Amino acid sequence: MLALLVLWRPQRFAQVVSRRFKPRLDATAPGVLSTSEMQTLVAFAAVLVEGRELDAQEASYMVEHITDKAGKTPGYLALYRKTADLLDRLAGAPFSSLSLEQRTGLMKQHGFTDYDVRIRECLLPWGREALAVRALAVPDLIGGYYFSPAGWAAVGYRAFPSRCGELTRYTSAEA
Amino acid sequence: MAVPDEVRETEVCIIGAGAAGGIMALELARRGIRVVVLESGPRHDLARRRDYSRRFVKGENPWESPLAGIDRYTTGGSVGYRLEWNRARGVGGSTLHWEGTTLRLHAEDFRMRTVHGIAEDWPISYEEIEPYYGKAERALGVAGAPDDPWASPRSTAFPLPPFPMSFSDGFFAGACRKLGIALHHLPQARNSLAYAGRSQCRACGTCHVCPTGAKASTDLTHIPQAVATGHAEIVTDATVLRLEVDRSNQLRSAVYAGADRSERRLSARIFVVAAGGVETARLLLLSAAPDSPRGLANRSGLVGRYFTSHPMIDVTGRMAAAVYPYRIGFSTAMSGQFAVRPGRQRRGAFFLEFLNSAGPLPGEIAPVSGAWGTALARRVKAEFGRTLGIRIYAEQLPDASNTVTLNAGVRDYFGNPVPHITYGIGSYERAALREAEEIAAKILAALGAEDIRSGPLGYAAHQLGTHRMGGDPAQSVVNANLRAHDVPNLYLVGGGSFVTASSSPPTLTIAALAIRTAEHIAEVYRRPPSC
Repeated sequence: MLALLVLWRPQRFAQVVSRRFKPRLDATAPGVLSTSEMQTLVAFAAVLVEGRELDAQEASYMVEHITDKAGKTPGYLALYRKTADLLDRLAGAPFSSLSLEQRTGLMKQHGFTDYDVRIRECLLPWGREALAVRALAVPDLIGGYYFSPAGWAAVGYRAFPSRCGELTRYTSAEA
Repeated sequence: MAVPDEVRETEVCIIGAGAAGGIMALELARRGIRVVVLESGPRHDLARRRDYSRRFVKGENPWESPLAGIDRYTTGGSVGYRLEWNRARGVGGSTLHWEGTTLRLHAEDFRMRTVHGIAEDWPISYEEIEPYYGKAERALGVAGAPDDPWASPRSTAFPLPPFPMSFSDGFFAGACRKLGIALHHLPQARNSLAYAGRSQCRACGTCHVCPTGAKASTDLTHIPQAVATGHAEIVTDATVLRLEVDRSNQLRSAVYAGADRSERRLSARIFVVAAGGVETARLLLLSAAPDSPRGLANRSGLVGRYFTSHPMIDVTGRMAAAVYPYRIGFSTAMSGQFAVRPGRQRRGAFFLEFLNSAGPLPGEIAPVSGAWGTALARRVKAEFGRTLGIRIYAEQLPDASNTVTLNAGVRDYFGNPVPHITYGIGSYERAALREAEEIAAKILAALGAEDIRSGPLGYAAHQLGTHRMGGDPAQSVVNANLRAHDVPNLYLVGGGSFVTASSSPPTLTIAALAIRTAEHIAEVYRRPPSC
């Protein structure tokens, strides 16, 4: 039956698998992360979003995003906790204590830089924790950072929605 | 919400402090008429708007009421009309979050039956409302230029110069020239220069929340001045639950409550309901009584019927060159070429808005790019800022099957039935959208865009027609002065009084009608304006 569905209706099969097996946020209550959990997440995000250490301002954007999501949206506190815990376990030490090169190597080794999760991976009974990090936490952290002023800086904008500027800037090409 | 005893009776009670209610409060108060405005939401101080602006870019709606379930509603019909982002509670009402587009209707928009043989004529003409358009433009501070070749004649200049065309408007202008389509300035109630004590626009890019107050909203443009006359009082966090009439069919009191749900009453000689096209209709339906079992002012059965909006579609295309979007939150160019022309009996009018902000944001590009580390920023920069968009606003014909009714099965914060909105569009609207999409696609193709595509069907936050005006009490709810046919001391102002929708956003017409109705009420009291 399953084989028939795969062969005859591959898109439908992908939808079914995705709906059934792709990691999803649970409905657990929002809350506050510990300082060490936050440090782990920011150290993780630094590799993902810039491939270098974040400066204090950039790190503050990341902290603001994580704090907001963990504190307001059900499921994110648990997701972030799971992510920090997994990273610390894999590192055998606080993940944030590793050098940038060590963190990058570890993340590549465990596939955390590949967040385009494939259908077949969703069917595997093992590695669910890491899959959740790749499918949910990584895109969330990347999106959060690029929605912040850092994302606008990446495209060369000094002023952007919510930061006012000179009115007539919009009339010519960006300097 | 402490209400002093002496406020429990007034000359005019206005329900809602938005576009219509805020304007009426000032127009009446400056004529020495005692006004109390009951506003369901709070006062949103200007100083808090910076924080609101930051919340808005994170996807929050800062105008949302904190009272659980107060904005609950249900939907039906072929198109689910959503209200979440389409209304705001607070002093200023929907002008807190509106886009600020201030188009007049065209002369023929008031005469659809006479000119095109469809729908109904308004009981007033463009010539009658024209002076009030001028007054509304001055009161709101409209920036514009008289460069729309299809606009109906105007007797007054725009009070502010137009905003200059944008960098991306230059692309559109070239393509429109090739195709014989006129592109012109988009009038808007936003300060191109400092005006009336409010600052020049500073391009903050979050016009849903204007952090500087450069965009007109009645909490800034009208309410403070009304209060300063000494004749107006604003009671906030006061949701009107029902209206009560006496045996002589005179409206006597508004029953309202705050967060504590305890009921209070305000008596007045005249009542003005200005709560928006959904909530005004709902309040009338909630005010059913033994003598008016179908709802207040509803002998015609038309309260809540003919709910009308403006169907919308965005057509986008991708450019090879950067177009630098998202540097201001509003559009500066439009074409009114298709708002009036033959064939309108078969398909709706429409206007084209040339968007200054289209395409994905950096935060939308990054998490689906598949890139990470140093490559990610490069990918985002390469992808960002190459989308141009044209927004279509189409005219919708009044349709009696589009309605606002009560859903007794679902209750709001106060235990009242919630509004149920039934909404759909028909062949008239679909024909307009189809033609407009073709024209927009041609413009985008002419300027060299690729990957041209239409977005999903949407609709504007315009809620019209639910207490339409007219001369015949069997076919309308209010008369030309917006007085209810059935209740002599009740006025219903706002978009609900529109007979037809045109393709123009309604706020300037709402404002003009509010000024006109305030003059009428003042005549009833025989009081001239003090300034």
